[in-house]
Amino acid sequence: MAAAALCWALSAARQVLPSPCPRQVRSYYVDWRMLRDVKRRKLAYEHADERLRINAIRKNSILPKELQEVADKEIAALPRDSCPVRIRNRCVLTSRPRGVKRRWRLSRIVFRHFADHAQMSGVQRAMW
Amino acid sequence: STSSVLSEDKDKSSASKDSTPEGAAKEGGAETPMQKLLDVIGDMKVEVSYRKKLQQLKASENKKQAMNKLEGPDSENSQGITEDTQRGKPLNPELVKAASAVASSLPHNKKQTESELLAQLRRHEETTDKQKKRGTLNIRNVISEMTIKKQSPAQRGVRLSGRISLQLDEDDQRIRRERSLAQPMDSRSLKVGKRLNIFTKASTEPEHALKTVSSPTIWDLEFAKEVAAVTAQPPRNGFEEMIQWTKEGILWEFPIDNEVGMEDDAEFHEHIFLEKHLEGFPKEGPIRHFMELVICGLSKNPYLSVKQKVEHIEWFQNYFEEKKELLQEI
Repeated sequence: MAAAALCWALSAARQVLPSPCPRQVRSYYVDWRMLRDVKRRKLAYEHADERLRINAIRKNSILPKELQEVADKEIAALPRDSCPVRIRNRCVLTSRPRGVKRRWRLSRIVFRHFADHAQMSGVQRAMW
Repeated sequence: STSSVLSEDKDKSSASKDSTPEGAAKEGGAETPMQKLLDVIGDMKVEVSYRKKLQQLKASENKKQAMNKLEGPDSENSQGITEDTQRGKPLNPELVKAASAVASSLPHNKKQTESELLAQLRRHEETTDKQKKRGTLNIRNVISEMTIKKQSPAQRGVRLSGRISLQLDEDDQRIRRERSLAQPMDSRSLKVGKRLNIFTKASTEPEHALKTVSSPTIWDLEFAKEVAAVTAQPPRNGFEEMIQWTKEGILWEFPIDNEVGMEDDAEFHEHIFLEKHLEGFPKEGPIRHFMELVICGLSKNPYLSVKQKVEHIEWFQNYFEEKKELLQEI
């Protein structure tokens, strides 16, 4: 099962970029937690429409309550990883769960590292 | 210039005829092949240089004088006939008919062209009969036999060079002439080159059909990727880098088009007036009330396409149909 997951992760992560520019090529996710987060995002994307519609039936004052109870049960029956609440915005490079700036998707440490080496466009040390 | 033009014409026509023993130019297909022939001749005429033209004019004048010496076209025909009897091989009657048809279609001396075409056919039959390795000797024999028609060697040389060095500029004439005379006549061999399909109906060429493979193999894809990777050089300057980024999609195209990737062909009324999709629902009751609210919300949504909105409503329809039994208990 682990091997299958690994293969799946590899096939998911690998992108064919026939570009000659020497960029850093990452063919693996940083760690397993990041992989799980990726899976959750995928499932959430797939079930997003269904969840929206079932919730529209549930959070309703017009439809009969029996229908709403049935809808409750249906949404609970969906896979647990399909809810968007479980997604955690991790750092893209280090998979750090905390201290992540949303605009750059990087943790504070990586952000500082790149900004100091002048590799972040438009970012400067603040001085006032 | 007529004689050289005709000689080239003979080359092409006899080449195609030789390869197709059927040969008969039928009326249905005669028009387009004739046009093709004429086009070919027309193209060839353009490439002849001015110097060649002069020589050819001289040659044609001399030839005409020689012809005149032979007391007109009747004796020429009789000569042609005697040549036929001398060779001792009857030509294919279809070929003869084809030659006459070609000669009649061309806007020059008809009998002369016909006789020349027939003579050319004769020669080619001879060469194909003998071994092809000895092609040079055969042709030289043929050329020597051409003296029967009382042509001077100077005209012969002119004719040869006119046949071979068509595509040359005036500069390369001398060099190429030596080379051409030194080489065997098969330098412009008959079997080489694409068929014009003038005298046969174009066979549908199953080779080409086979070549167009519907599903390119994995190896082809890999090869294509390799080639692309090798040929893609790193950008030399900022402009090329920006071009590369635009191709990849990293950089937008300027002036910025706000509707890139959005191909919604539907009009505004299809987005707003969605009541026609509500036909599957009961006309009264809480469900109808609920669906009207849904439609109100969808009509105000600018982010979904019409297709997505219709799918939304259909999902609800399916859902409520599944729950019909439950609803009827209530």
